[in-house]
Amino acid sequence: MSTRRILIVDDELDFGTTLAERLALRGFTAKAVGGAQEAVAALAADWRPDVVLLDLMMPGVDGLATLDLIKQHDPKIQVIILTGHGSTESGIIGMQRGLFDYIMKPVDIGELIVRINEAGAQ
Amino acid sequence: MSDNPKCPLFCGMSGKDLSPRARYRCMRNSLLIVMLAITLIPLSITSGLNFIQYQQLLREDSQANARWNAESARATISAYLEKLQAAITVVIDSYTFEDLSDPQRLDQVFKRLKKEHQGLVDLSVIGQDGIQSAYIGPYQLAGKDYSDSLWFHKALSRRIYVSEVITGFRNVPHFVVATCKKDMHSGKYWILRASIDTETLDHFLSLAETEALEDIFLINDSGKLQSSSRYHGVAMDDFQLTRKPKQNDILIFEEMRGDSSFYRAVSRIQNTPWLLVLDQQGAEARKIWQVFKGRLFLTLTLCFLASGGMVVWLSRFLAGKFREADETRDAILSETEHSNKLASIGRLAAGVAHEINNPLAIIGEKAGLMQDLVGMDQDFRHKEKFLDQLGSLQNAVVRARTITHRLLGFARRMETSLTLVQLNEIIQEVLSFLEKDAAYRNIHVILQLQENLPVIRADHGQLQQVFLNVINNAIDAIRNDGEIHITSRRENHKTVMVAISDTGPGIAPEVLKHIFDPFFTTKANEEKKGTGLGLSITYGIVQKMGGRIEVSSEVGVGTTFIISFPVYSEGSEGQHDEHA
Repeated sequence: MSTRRILIVDDELDFGTTLAERLALRGFTAKAVGGAQEAVAALAADWRPDVVLLDLMMPGVDGLATLDLIKQHDPKIQVIILTGHGSTESGIIGMQRGLFDYIMKPVDIGELIVRINEAGAQ
Repeated sequence: MSDNPKCPLFCGMSGKDLSPRARYRCMRNSLLIVMLAITLIPLSITSGLNFIQYQQLLREDSQANARWNAESARATISAYLEKLQAAITVVIDSYTFEDLSDPQRLDQVFKRLKKEHQGLVDLSVIGQDGIQSAYIGPYQLAGKDYSDSLWFHKALSRRIYVSEVITGFRNVPHFVVATCKKDMHSGKYWILRASIDTETLDHFLSLAETEALEDIFLINDSGKLQSSSRYHGVAMDDFQLTRKPKQNDILIFEEMRGDSSFYRAVSRIQNTPWLLVLDQQGAEARKIWQVFKGRLFLTLTLCFLASGGMVVWLSRFLAGKFREADETRDAILSETEHSNKLASIGRLAAGVAHEINNPLAIIGEKAGLMQDLVGMDQDFRHKEKFLDQLGSLQNAVVRARTITHRLLGFARRMETSLTLVQLNEIIQEVLSFLEKDAAYRNIHVILQLQENLPVIRADHGQLQQVFLNVINNAIDAIRNDGEIHITSRRENHKTVMVAISDTGPGIAPEVLKHIFDPFFTTKANEEKKGTGLGLSITYGIVQKMGGRIEVSSEVGVGTTFIISFPVYSEGSEGQHDEHA
């Protein structure tokens, strides 16, 4: 089984990099970026992630807009919203736009890996 | 001068510093006074006017009666005197002085006159010199000299004369009717005189006697009684008359005897020296007035009692209604305030939870990474201790996450997905989560669920949370060994209810009133700490679904939660939402 590529998009870079490091320790190829533009840049650099962990509330382009950008680039990339500012409305909107799952921070790493694998298996 | 705090009138309408009890008592009293005034003042005024008018009418009637009686009595006496005067005038015109100086002739005339004229005592003939030349009567008066008598001189100067009451030579009260004539032969005047006793006057006056008549008598201008009086003595006694009529008038005026008033009618009897005095009962002394007063008093008393009773009842009824309305309004205000408080706290909680989640996630991930790294390093010196500390840190993160997620759940209570739900099924589902815990603590759950309970329209998940919270609280309250009774039934055609009673220690009243407030917890010092949001969330959910949650508790007996929801019916609101 090839290692899954995970892109973490979160303006809290401290969180993103730490999570990326932990995922890396668990055999994933993980990369953390601080916003939508960097995420798009990463995608454009021909580094196609299998799963994107996306924060919802970010300065500039927010999570839902970023989701649209990712889906425009490659609809097959699975996106999981990982946010501290969750609401049912944003979850429903995300699902309608092709979101795979919606998880509230803070999350247990084991639980997160289960969801990542589910998403990656799609 | 400060405001009087002790129940001033009309304070019930605005007395905010009074206790509710005092305020409603004041309101009741104010209503009572106002309504009594509205009903009784017009009644009293009408009755008073009626009273005065009837009294006035009776007075006028009494005066008219007195006038009529006086007129009648005067006419009776005048008629008697005129008849007698006419008779003796005929006699004197028919005979000469010599004829009537004959005692036999005079006796014949006397007997004829006496037959027709009651009270005639004697008849005599007196010459111009005043010597009585002939006398027929019971007294020895023949030959008496009347030249010194006043009546004799007055009689000589008039054709016909009626004297005052005198005692004369006989020393008995009587009066004289005399007629005078000039003798054709001698050219001298002579007098035919008839004496009448005063009892005759008494007799004629007594004919005027009626129920309302108090006294009737005659007096002369010098204040001597000319007949007997019921109150003032007999003929020749003195009497003081305050007012006298002019000429032929009848004078009527009010006098007092003791405490009671009466009407006095005074009139002159023409061609006599007499004044007729008639005392008639005052209006107030009349029986008809007493009867009227009695009936008026009785009617007024009955009206006052009936109106008073009605007003007392009405004021109590209205004050009660005001109180009910106020209490309902206060309850609605209190519920609205509570809902608003919950909504505000919900928004605040959501904000706080969101803000905390991000740093919490960083702490969690950092601690997790440290755990990973330490776990992988076989040579780490204090590996066990580090892992233990990091585990505690992760546990703390999990605890904090639980709280923030609950806070968000509390904030999200407004967001519902409504479906048709069977309450009994929800209760069974919730019990399946809790039955192991209950069994472990030896708590018996006794179900009395009504079959075919109507469905309600609610959010399935949130409803689960409601019953989970309440039943979980019941288990926590009992701790060990006890019973939980869960009853469901249709309360009426609009409502279904579930009652959950436990045999726990109960809740003190001061705690009970805060039980639905957010962050109010009784489990702060317990092993299984509470957030103080459980019942608050429950309250919000139930209210959002159009239901009600009520709690009653008795310390030492237990606590009962009653949760009721409106029954779903076709055509009720919300049909457009998605449902099962």
